[in-house]
Amino acid sequence: MPAPSAEERSLSLRVNGRTHVLSGVDGTETLAQVLKNRLGLTGLKVACDQGACGACTVIMDGLAVLSCLTLAVEAQGAEILTIEGLSPDDPVVRAFAGQCEPGYGTAMQCGYCTPGFVMTAKAFLLANPKPTMEEIKENLSGNLCRCGCYPAIAQAVLRASGQKAGEE
Amino acid sequence: MKQAFTPREKRRYVGAYRPKIDGPAKAAGRAEYLDDLALAIRFPGLLQAKVLRSPYAHCRIRRIDTKKAEALPGVRAVITFEDPEAAAFKPTTCAWTGVDTVPYDRMYWPTYRDKRVFGPYCTWAGDEAGVVVAAETEAIAEEALKLLEVDWEVLDHVLDPQEALAPEAPRINPEMNFGSNVIPPEDLCGPERWFDRGDVDQALAEAEVKVEVTSHYPNTDHGCLDSMGCLIHWTEDKLTCWSNSYQGDQLRVHLATMLDLPLHRVRVIIPYLGGSMGRWNVGDQLFFLFTALLSRRTGRPVRFKHTRREDFHDTRSAIQWRARLGADREGTIGAAHFIGLADAGGYTEHTVAALKFMTGFEISECMLAPIKNLRFEGKTVYTNKIPGGCMRGIGNNQFNLCLMLAVDELAEKLGMDPIDLVLKNFGHEWGQRPDPSLKALLEEGAKRIGWQDRHPAGAGPVHEGTRRRGLGFSFHMSWHTAWQEIPRGRVQLRVRLNPDGTVILDAPMVETGVGSNSCAVFACAEAFDFLDLRPEDIAWVEQVDTETGLKDMVQTDSAVSYLHAELMGEAAAQIKAQILERAEPVLEAPSADLEVKEGRVLVRAEPERSISVRDLLWRGDMTPLIGTVNRLPPQEVTGVPFAATFVEVEVDSSTGRVEVTRIVQLNDCGTVMFASGVEAQQTGGQCIGLGEAIYEEIVYDQRTGVPLNFNWIDYKIPTMADFPEIEPVPLEVWRGAGDYGPCGIGEVVTTNTPRAVANAVYNAVGVRVDDPPLTPQKVLKALREKGGAQ
Repeated sequence: MPAPSAEERSLSLRVNGRTHVLSGVDGTETLAQVLKNRLGLTGLKVACDQGACGACTVIMDGLAVLSCLTLAVEAQGAEILTIEGLSPDDPVVRAFAGQCEPGYGTAMQCGYCTPGFVMTAKAFLLANPKPTMEEIKENLSGNLCRCGCYPAIAQAVLRASGQKAGEE
Repeated sequence: MKQAFTPREKRRYVGAYRPKIDGPAKAAGRAEYLDDLALAIRFPGLLQAKVLRSPYAHCRIRRIDTKKAEALPGVRAVITFEDPEAAAFKPTTCAWTGVDTVPYDRMYWPTYRDKRVFGPYCTWAGDEAGVVVAAETEAIAEEALKLLEVDWEVLDHVLDPQEALAPEAPRINPEMNFGSNVIPPEDLCGPERWFDRGDVDQALAEAEVKVEVTSHYPNTDHGCLDSMGCLIHWTEDKLTCWSNSYQGDQLRVHLATMLDLPLHRVRVIIPYLGGSMGRWNVGDQLFFLFTALLSRRTGRPVRFKHTRREDFHDTRSAIQWRARLGADREGTIGAAHFIGLADAGGYTEHTVAALKFMTGFEISECMLAPIKNLRFEGKTVYTNKIPGGCMRGIGNNQFNLCLMLAVDELAEKLGMDPIDLVLKNFGHEWGQRPDPSLKALLEEGAKRIGWQDRHPAGAGPVHEGTRRRGLGFSFHMSWHTAWQEIPRGRVQLRVRLNPDGTVILDAPMVETGVGSNSCAVFACAEAFDFLDLRPEDIAWVEQVDTETGLKDMVQTDSAVSYLHAELMGEAAAQIKAQILERAEPVLEAPSADLEVKEGRVLVRAEPERSISVRDLLWRGDMTPLIGTVNRLPPQEVTGVPFAATFVEVEVDSSTGRVEVTRIVQLNDCGTVMFASGVEAQQTGGQCIGLGEAIYEEIVYDQRTGVPLNFNWIDYKIPTMADFPEIEPVPLEVWRGAGDYGPCGIGEVVTTNTPRAVANAVYNAVGVRVDDPPLTPQKVLKALREKGGAQ
């Protein structure tokens, strides 16, 4: 192993309500790497590793952040919420899982982008509990779904907000 | 509310609007993919592999010095093409398989084995250059590559396929001795004129109305979020490979064949896969082999995973098609001549199939059967670009772009509606004219898009200032199931009925997202209707495991979504017979007098003498009942149904920007197996269809041949904000072989959109742009040339 660099330090992270103290974390390690590789929180996906797709989105102090572009050291002192921290009956998770009404398809196919979309939608609905369809499209357009389930995802977000889905 | 599809035959689960069976796991982030397994916390001692990549479009390593790289702390192995074990690999083609599972000697394209697993020679900027490193971290492995002292011989390169044809062009893959950059004909796809019916020259000479057009389809990328990779641990006992390939058993055969191991010493495990889009039709991805060598050398588990940049690794083959159509004044097309030039990029892969197999063997029979004089000819040529592999809708998308341009032009010359021209001239060789499937689709599509109000070409109604609207459509045959499935071989399936009445369903296929697992589960519940089985009572075996499971069905194409379903009835019949046998002594009646209904076994003549299946099984030795199927799927060749795409666009004549405002995607599915899944495919396929129409293209530095946009910032994939209103329309008109008779639709939902958009742009503003993507630059240039820009 290479010699420990000057930037290596012990790091304290608050994730899903628990405090983790990690040693030997390199100053260049991203939040995504630490959450996934060290803490085993595998829900988030790293698909582009350059902030272009949103698959690694987690919530930091109530805001959606790209964990591939956030250094782990930047996250010290923040409350981090990953998809593992959502309750089993979270309305966003349930809406994505159950989406199937005629005309839109399902809210995921391969499912690789789904945790990122769920976390982006979760943070968005925290800030805007009753969004319009235009606002949903605007705010979720930083996430890529190559399977193209966008119309169903938009419906799921509308449904998760307690609004009637199935109509535009 | 949007309009719900009405099934031809009402069933309980098959064909219904339902959530995906893996929806809850995927939505909660619990579904596991390769990256979630291949972690050092799960595999202590895990090493990371990296491969040297060519920085030049065409080059060769003269000499390499690895000393500095090997000396870097944390580097555990460096293997180069000069290593004897690396040099011993058989040459390959990067195109191992189709739907079938085959060993090396039956691998596709035996005369095109132009790729070395480890070699000093590179044919495109990004090619694997025959040096691999395993290190404690990815960062150290990358650093080690930078410390390699490589003496590169930079060779002249050629990017344009026309220029590559010239005798003086730089020769690519010279050791193949092809004599030029043209890839010579082989047995499967036939000669350079691979289809010739009637007398095309004479028929064209005599035709009353003629058109001649050319189209160019660009290099595009699959764009799967889950980049390709593997984790291999090769111990004394066996080699175990975890991967996100879409084929488990084929990968096992591949590793065993290339590494000279017996099959029982190779185990392949594949979890959920984050998108395929056809890309894995390249069974001998080199990284499996060099990762295996690194694991053997170090004795440790080794992970290799493409970076996003590296995952631009195969492409939809760029093809230029030229078409000549000849018709009489009534609109009967008597002659069609198609001339293709396919750009293979740096290796053969599947470009020959994209050009020749799809057109000569399928399109000629299934779409162009009524045309009496028909010819296909053309060439496939090497260039120093990313190789053309297999991508969703292989070959069909490129051909459709040309065919329906020619049809649109011909219709205009004849003064005919292009829908009428299509119905008059196209269909498959088994069917009547007009083809009922095609007629139903085009009539429904025309109604939904408002085709009757369509304006003449170039006179689209003005919508806000400089924006004009236009309508266009295209159609294509669906996926060629009947042909594709014949070489697939036997399908394996096992149903275990637990003593509590629940089911373990071993219907092995890698779930890439297409929903074949949901289809199998719904069909299982349907087949076990006599037990009142519900989808939630069925556990589908998620991981493909070649050691503990059955042979998986190669997830090549959307037919996989129903081939297990077609055999489910047979497994159910076996289990029903076993239930009756177990009930005989309990109900004291011969099984011939018994029946199973709503989860109970009863004596037919005395229905009050009965026992629930659960009680029957629970009282015994608790052994589950097993139904096993191991046979060929239905083989009857029945032709295929069609698909059509109608679009509305708005073209801004001051900027050239094209906005697609509506898409109506229609598919004759034969039988809809999973309505929500079908509509997800119809809607979602537009991410590629729309992307290829107006955004997506791999761009090269024309001077150096280096690709410039191998990332998702510069290679634009549509987002939610780019998506128009999309109407998915599943229909059931045609019917195929088997209990259900469906047809795969996952490929063709991407095929028509680029042409439909280009025709709609012509309809709006009267200019043709036939080399998608239809960027503002191209459209504005065309408008200026026509004098129509504002």
